[in-house]
Amino acid sequence: MARAGKFYLGLVTAVIFVLLEVAAVALLKRSSTLQNIWINRISHSVMATTWGSFTKVRNYFGLREQNEILAGRNYELFKELQHYKELEKSVQAMARLDSARLPSRFNYIPAEITAMGTNSRHNYIILDKGSEHGVKPQSAIITPNGVVGMIYAVDRRYSYGLSFLNEKVSVSARIGREGLVAPLSWDGQGSDRAILKDIPLHLTVAEGDTVRTSGISAVYPPDIPIGVTTGSRLIDGAVNVVDVKLFVDFASLRYVIIAENPDRTTIEKMER
Amino acid sequence: MKNYRFILIYIVMVVVQVLLVNFFPLSRYLLVSVLPALILVLPVDTRAIPAMLVSFALGFAVDFFSNGMLGISSLALVPAGLVRGAVIDGVFGDELSSRGDELSVQRLGVPKMVLASLILCSVYFLVYIWADSAGTVPFWPAALRFALSVLVSTPVCVFTVRFFRP
Repeated sequence: MARAGKFYLGLVTAVIFVLLEVAAVALLKRSSTLQNIWINRISHSVMATTWGSFTKVRNYFGLREQNEILAGRNYELFKELQHYKELEKSVQAMARLDSARLPSRFNYIPAEITAMGTNSRHNYIILDKGSEHGVKPQSAIITPNGVVGMIYAVDRRYSYGLSFLNEKVSVSARIGREGLVAPLSWDGQGSDRAILKDIPLHLTVAEGDTVRTSGISAVYPPDIPIGVTTGSRLIDGAVNVVDVKLFVDFASLRYVIIAENPDRTTIEKMER
Repeated sequence: MKNYRFILIYIVMVVVQVLLVNFFPLSRYLLVSVLPALILVLPVDTRAIPAMLVSFALGFAVDFFSNGMLGISSLALVPAGLVRGAVIDGVFGDELSSRGDELSVQRLGVPKMVLASLILCSVYFLVYIWADSAGTVPFWPAALRFALSVLVSTPVCVFTVRFFRP
């Protein structure tokens, strides 16, 4: 209690001291021009220092807001940069398509892989292009180096596909440019291997032959190189299977091309 | 009776201070003031707030009746009134105020009185010369003025205190 009383007494003393000094300064200011100028200069200096300190403190606490604005600008610039990068990649992808001489009856859409599974027997792939980009189900997912999979379902901005590393996916393939045609599918063993099935026993397949898409399909464009034969095996004493080493490295795959056949529906109707 | 004597001497000393300022300007570098002594001789139990109020009024009166700048003495004397209690306690000891005794040069000794006067004169002239210079006087001339004024005014103040508290 005594301490509180002492504190308040000290406070009142300080306030009265300041008031008396201010009163004295006010009197002095009015009575002398020189002192008036001097006091004005001091008061301006004090005001400037005070406002400067306030500004510094305000700026310090405003840093968070500034950071948010900068982060927003950074994000916008990043998006813009990504946009230009994608444009560049599209141009490059189209240039590669031209160099690969892909058949022109297909529509091609460059895409980036958003997600891809490689560890199960039914692997999937999600691409960053959807229906608003012109992607349709049953379109092929390819690269100039081979087949990656097939579009299964399409969202507005994304599309879901079955990876070639999926036991349900089968591609009609041809050994060489004018050789045997057989279904090619993943063997479920490794991401760089596939097998050509239903090879008749009387046919021999040499090692090192290039396997391409056959073109006998409404989904995959013809003559896309897929892999190279590495040997053949007899299965159940009735048919041969040919082992194929795939060109596509699924582990490092990032950009693909969606190939859509505009005549697919017509062809499928005729097949029925 | 004692109080009347005190008040009478007090008024006389104020008049003396006014006369000193008006008619005996000794030098540019020398100020003589008894005002710190007039603050020191206030009753020992006077608290800081009354002391400051008396200081302000005293300074105002001297400035008003002299040719000086109105407010400058108040500005310099109020800090002296603020530190007066601490100076008395520090120089003469707490017993003085606790016993209710008054200042006495004879009883407390000249050295202690000189020290108390010196501190109050220093505070007074520090503010006075700083305000009077108004930033126009270089440091060393101002310091010389301060030193001379304190050196001369301190014995004058001790002498003044003897009038009040022999």
